[in-house]
Amino acid sequence: MGEHVASGIEKWLLDKTGKDIYFWNFIVLMFFTLFEVGAVFFEKIPGTEIEITRLMVWGVLIGVGIIKGYGIAAYFMHLRGDPRIYTRTALFPVLFVLLMLWGIGLSNPEAVTELPAWCTPDWDYATR
Amino acid sequence: MSAHNNHVENSTWMHAVMMAGIFAVIGIIAFAALGIGVANQKHDVYDDAKHDYHDAKEDPLTTSEELDDLYHKEEKAHLSFLTYRVAGITILVMCSIYAIFLGIGGLVNALQPDDDHGGDDHGHDDHEEHHGSASPIIFSLGVMLFLMGFPSFVVACKALMSQGGTFVFSDILVSLIGLNFIMLGVANWWKEDLPFIGHGEQIATSAPFEGEHIRKAGLWVFIMSEIMVFATFFSSYLRVRTEWCTDWAIRSSEEGDSCYGVAEGSVTTASDLLRYDVATLMPGAINTFALIVSSYTIVLALKTAKDKNWEAPTNFMRFVLPDKKRAIRNYLIATLALGSLFIVLKLVEWSHLVAEGFDIGSPQGSIFYVATGAHGLHVFVGLLVMLYLIFKSDTVGFDEDNGQGIEYFGLYWHFVDLAWVVIFPAFYLY
Repeated sequence: MGEHVASGIEKWLLDKTGKDIYFWNFIVLMFFTLFEVGAVFFEKIPGTEIEITRLMVWGVLIGVGIIKGYGIAAYFMHLRGDPRIYTRTALFPVLFVLLMLWGIGLSNPEAVTELPAWCTPDWDYATR
Repeated sequence: MSAHNNHVENSTWMHAVMMAGIFAVIGIIAFAALGIGVANQKHDVYDDAKHDYHDAKEDPLTTSEELDDLYHKEEKAHLSFLTYRVAGITILVMCSIYAIFLGIGGLVNALQPDDDHGGDDHGHDDHEEHHGSASPIIFSLGVMLFLMGFPSFVVACKALMSQGGTFVFSDILVSLIGLNFIMLGVANWWKEDLPFIGHGEQIATSAPFEGEHIRKAGLWVFIMSEIMVFATFFSSYLRVRTEWCTDWAIRSSEEGDSCYGVAEGSVTTASDLLRYDVATLMPGAINTFALIVSSYTIVLALKTAKDKNWEAPTNFMRFVLPDKKRAIRNYLIATLALGSLFIVLKLVEWSHLVAEGFDIGSPQGSIFYVATGAHGLHVFVGLLVMLYLIFKSDTVGFDEDNGQGIEYFGLYWHFVDLAWVVIFPAFYLY
């Protein structure tokens, strides 16, 4: 339990390079961190005249975040290889997280002060 | 002594007290060198820069460019002074807490009769019914009392630091009792866990974790709740951030957008102050790398513990990893050092932001300090647990039978790293 048994690409990496998946995961995490810092720090893609827009930064940050998150959860936290119940446990709150991100974070810019009365029972300012 | 436990002598517990002494010495030396030695020199430079600027301001012959230049020199000198002063004080405070934590934990257990050790309640026999541990409830009671008394505790601490108000002992009493309970819970937990040398790990007997280690399942459920905690910070941040007209949002806005035509400089976020300059972005970036490296070192500690055929390296690393026991300990020390570096750099960065006027009084400051502070607190709690792991690795030791202790702590530590993967881009880069 907890140890990662090499199979598939992990075994291939181990055979070819002599380094295990932890090492390569570490390298990937370091590289992508450097990449996301660079994406924000530079105003143009180095060596080109292409401007790094806000949308591009959004894309890079979310994409790199997903890759790094997967690397940490799957390999360092051993979710890949451990029984599925652990992955399900880890993913269970995602439903609530998505609800929060959508319900609080991205919708209703006026927040609680403008919610309909049925959402905010007994709040004086809700029905003003 | 149980079949699955090691007998722990009182002298072993005194080892923790000795480690506490080492941390106290490190803290004092670091504070003397950085917080006093270097910081005082930097303060002299800052004083000179301040005088130069004020003299120039009163001199009618000074041009505005020269005045700007002197102002930036003064600001730079001030931030440089703050870096060393804050780093010195932070290391001293952290090492003092490490020393108190290890010292009290070790001493409480060392003072008990020698026959009392050997822990018959954790590493129970496979056929024996588990009787549970009192440590979590004692610990929780301590945390509750500490938080109940926390508001007055803060007032008393401010009075002690001469920042207004009068110090009254009763203000710290409830928190102090809470801290005592926390230490008692921790010491009791150490007493139960230190003799544990593997086997007899409690296994869940019902769905959904049937056949799995109960400690591991419990830790995952705990991580599940932690995901929710950080999600609340993140969704709050997203909620306010989408509404702010930052300079970046204004510049990239088009006709019809809510931020179109708004004057720049109306909203300043932490990332506006941090991301445009290498010097200001550096602490956050180093912290990101530090957490990733620390995640790797703790994985290496686990891998070494679980490796039945581990051999010492033949290159220069053999000095750092001479044998299995010391290799595990040194990997854990490296993790502790990197985590401590994270806290030091975080507080240095905060001091710079506060000096530049970005404090907790604004909505932007409030969400930034609360979210990154909550994360920092998680790192610090992890460091306190790590102290115990280092102590255990240096005494009883970890191997393939009891290495899961490192694995379970590692899960928490990786989660803290994972939370930073979200916080860093959201609060520092975007």
